[in-house]
Amino acid sequence: MKNTTILVMMVLVISLVGGFILIKGNNVNGNVVSGTEIPPTTQQGQIQKVVLSQDGYNYRDSVAEAGKPIEISADSSVGGCLRSVVFDIEGKKYSKYLKTPGETLELPALSKGTYAFSCSMGMGYGKLIVK
Amino acid sequence: MSLKEFTKELNGRNGKVEGELIKTVFYSLLTGLGLLAILYYFKFRFIESFLSEEGFFLFFAVLSYSLIIPTIRQVRAYREFACMSGMMIGMTTGMIVGFMGGFYLGATNGMFVGSVFGMAVGILIGTWMGKCCGIMGFLEGMMAGFMGGLMGAMTAVMMLNDNLKAATVVIFIISSAILFSLNYMIYKETKDNETERQLREDHFWTLALSLVLTAITAGIMVFGPRSLLFGG
Repeated sequence: MKNTTILVMMVLVISLVGGFILIKGNNVNGNVVSGTEIPPTTQQGQIQKVVLSQDGYNYRDSVAEAGKPIEISADSSVGGCLRSVVFDIEGKKYSKYLKTPGETLELPALSKGTYAFSCSMGMGYGKLIVK
Repeated sequence: MSLKEFTKELNGRNGKVEGELIKTVFYSLLTGLGLLAILYYFKFRFIESFLSEEGFFLFFAVLSYSLIIPTIRQVRAYREFACMSGMMIGMTTGMIVGFMGGFYLGATNGMFVGSVFGMAVGILIGTWMGKCCGIMGFLEGMMAGFMGGLMGAMTAVMMLNDNLKAATVVIFIISSAILFSLNYMIYKETKDNETERQLREDHFWTLALSLVLTAITAGIMVFGPRSLLFGG
């Protein structure tokens, strides 16, 4: 077989398989989908909503109330690996990749104190102050 | 000019290994994609969002392997190289294989699995290729595989939220250019030093390596452990 024929066949095969994957894969990629802005730290019923935002290379400090379960989300200012949040509370790890501002990470009710957290790669840090 | 001669040699039928490189790419590609098609038909199509997540990276993994395997064939054909060339061969293959392997698995399974896989294949192939010049190439291959594996997985995890798929295409193109340049370097070195081809072989290793690499990558990507970040 001639090399030109082989090259043409390779291009055909790659285009076919690549096209199949792209079309059937719905073009979903790993980017942040910018949704509607969520208001900063709010409370709703028994569950508190805490919205993380980015401050330089770290998270902005957030505040929550003691004794109420917490739902953490991250607004669109948070980017890169900082969207993957890791809490280590009394030896138990709570972690989630908050791909969109609508996704949340649930934390149990906490007692008063300051809880440090980081992104999954340990590059960015933040504090959750529970009052 | 020897680059022109090299491209002519790619079409050559004078028994030189360079004349078999395009065929090797083709056989490897067919083997890898064939195995993927079989796995997809029997198993992977039942996995939700397989094509948009693992499928994309598996496709690029097969493309990358089909470019790495001809280089392995070319190096094996000449067996021995001067120290500088051998170190370059060990470093390039170790780094590219480690980086690509680590990158694809890092993008689907996380930093740990990506790094371990990247380092394992990078060091294995880097030392295998680098030993063509003795201990220096061996060591260079080992170091490059070690660094490439970690770097690949880390890059993928850090880019998760920043056009990872576009970055995959860019990284693949750059790696292809590096591997093509390595093929040219080997051709030029052997031509300048009038090195004769030492090994003539059929395509058993092409098919075997394509099958093994694709199967291991697919297996770990789909069924392997995942980090917290990926719901593990």
